[in-house]
Amino acid sequence: MKSKSMKKFLSLILSSTMVIGMLSGCGGNEAADVSKDESGATVVKFGIHVANPKEQEVVTYNIVQAFNEKYDGKYKIEFEASDKEAHSKNMKLEASDGTLPQIFWLDASEAPEYSDSGILLDLTDFLNENTEIKDALGGMETAFQDDNGQYGLPYQCNVQGIFYNKELFDQANVEYPTNDTTYEEFIEMIGKLKESGVTPLSIGSKNSSYAMWEFNESLARYGWEENINGILDGEKKFNNPDLTACFEKLQGIAEAGAFPENMATIEYFDAKQLFDEGKAAMFGTGQWDCAEFDENIGENIGFWWGPKFTDSSYEQDIAMKVPSAPIVVNAEVADNDAMKEAVYEFLKFYYGEEAAEISYEGSIFPATNYSDVSATESQYSMNAMLEALGTGWTTPQSAPDLTVTSAVQEALYNSMFGVMQGTYEPSEALDKMDEALSYSK
Amino acid sequence: MHWLSKRKYKIGLLIPTLLVYSVFIVIPIIIAVGYSFTKYSGIGKARFYGLSNYIRLFSDKVFWISLKNTMIIFVLAFVLLLTISFLVALLLNNRLAGADFSKALVFSPAIIAPIIVGIIWVYILDPNIGIINNVLDAIGASSLKHKWIGGEVFSPYSIAVIYFWQQLGYLVTIFIAGLKMIPGDVLEAAQIDGASGVQKVRYVIIPMMRTTISTVSVLIITGVFKIFEIVQQTTGGGPNHLSETLVTYSYSMTFSSSDYGYGMSLATFTFILSLVITGIYSRITREKEA
Repeated sequence: MKSKSMKKFLSLILSSTMVIGMLSGCGGNEAADVSKDESGATVVKFGIHVANPKEQEVVTYNIVQAFNEKYDGKYKIEFEASDKEAHSKNMKLEASDGTLPQIFWLDASEAPEYSDSGILLDLTDFLNENTEIKDALGGMETAFQDDNGQYGLPYQCNVQGIFYNKELFDQANVEYPTNDTTYEEFIEMIGKLKESGVTPLSIGSKNSSYAMWEFNESLARYGWEENINGILDGEKKFNNPDLTACFEKLQGIAEAGAFPENMATIEYFDAKQLFDEGKAAMFGTGQWDCAEFDENIGENIGFWWGPKFTDSSYEQDIAMKVPSAPIVVNAEVADNDAMKEAVYEFLKFYYGEEAAEISYEGSIFPATNYSDVSATESQYSMNAMLEALGTGWTTPQSAPDLTVTSAVQEALYNSMFGVMQGTYEPSEALDKMDEALSYSK
Repeated sequence: MHWLSKRKYKIGLLIPTLLVYSVFIVIPIIIAVGYSFTKYSGIGKARFYGLSNYIRLFSDKVFWISLKNTMIIFVLAFVLLLTISFLVALLLNNRLAGADFSKALVFSPAIIAPIIVGIIWVYILDPNIGIINNVLDAIGASSLKHKWIGGEVFSPYSIAVIYFWQQLGYLVTIFIAGLKMIPGDVLEAAQIDGASGVQKVRYVIIPMMRTTISTVSVLIITGVFKIFEIVQQTTGGGPNHLSETLVTYSYSMTFSSSDYGYGMSLATFTFILSLVITGIYSRITREKEA
């Protein structure tokens, strides 16, 4: 009797497990399945890194709406939206159970690992079939190539640097920074701005240590691009004289009182608010904040690449105009011609001239470059950036922080903020990066 | 009712719970422990890594900082919550004027989502915009200003205080429920025997509430090892991981650094540590009861 009960018990457990297992197995190869909406349009899922694209990625949202309108009843793009951290987690989970969306945004530091795992579609054919797009990208696509091919295309073009509020500079009787402003002059500038009662350079590290875009320029001016491959290959260390000098400058900026005292307890958005409200004279960010600055600061906005360093032997005429994170295509899309066609049509539209116009209207630099599209007069922030770009300086292939894996990237952010907050000495901070690199291998 | 006590029915009734418990608790723990022996970025296949993650754990300065912070929060929260919630329960158990209102007031933080608790306390403790430093400025006591959060020293203490504030009402409610279970005639008898208020507490109430005290203690111990939102909202573990707890550091390594293997070794360590502390506590209290 006892043994019979036990058998029944075991059978029940096994059958339940089987049912759960079967249910969990239902998700495989979803990307290749063509789903249609009520109008018969092929639905393509687009995984994006913001929770509310309509509010937080207005340009992408508008491009998608324009595409859906143009191809009404034929193709339809639907967002799969969640904030950056949740999006990153979701994509990893969906990659493991085969339920990734057809198109998705990826952090540049994570994309190569996806590519190595064979999850991403090689888009070389797409570019070869659409040479006008390849020309319009102007080589920006090379940031997302590896041995597996063209694993992604730039989502946008990022222009990163320091925005400044001319009104606050005037009030403090400080000259606006120029392309030739040196680090020493920058330190003097910080002192005068601080004396005038404003925060010289707003920044926040709480849950947003990635918000260090203004210092990508400093890293580049101390030879990041020239040395990073050697460092990643183990021939050199992060703790080298060039990067030590760079981190010492960060320390100097912090000691001059450039940052908010509560930088450890405010986020990027709080720091930006200080700048928007005229409580901070400068703020490091990229073109994605242009529309907000037009609204809050208007014609008083200025843009600057950051200080030049007289003790560096590396190129100083660098404009931080780089491809942003890639959008990628699920490799399973290739298994279904109808789905592949829909995805390629969307990519053609996204990298076409019409989408570029929508981008400029929303004060975002598209990854493509079409000669007939540009900013309007009232787009003050974007025009300030365009003026800075007018120098024709050299541009790196990728932003320094996007050239390393997630673990090293996190260590880079942590180290830079450690120096800025006075918890690390420059050499100690660089050792942390070397340590992170050694563990990531 | 006799039929329900038959073995086969007992098993039948337990199966749904066992299934849910296994799928959502036991299996994830086993998987997490498994991943702690791998090198895994969350993408592709995990690679067996032996004990390397655990060896790294003990040479990682941030691990020791997060362990120290967790223990500071644990000791402070345990001592403060156990004693003060018991005393507040004793007070509120009396038929005083406004006791019901006071109970509601004390309990109110417990119904606020931890993430909101964090936001509220940012406006109290932030070095620049926080009420405390601004009040100190206003009364001319600027020398007493500190970085209550976001500095190198006070963050874990502040987090313990926030956790205390959040949990007090919940634990007071459990204690009050325990106090209500004590038969009135026992307390009456003690009073007739001439026991003072302190003596009643020492010799009657505390011995009769051992089970409740044990329950509250285990809740505090396990709760401390789950503090997450408060840290994320007040400091995000910063500056430079100096205010991390074991849980937030595990989260940071897993999801920010994409080092799933190392993150899971931290999670496994935290799990074992909380089991050990709960086990030690249970053993001590069992010995005393014996």
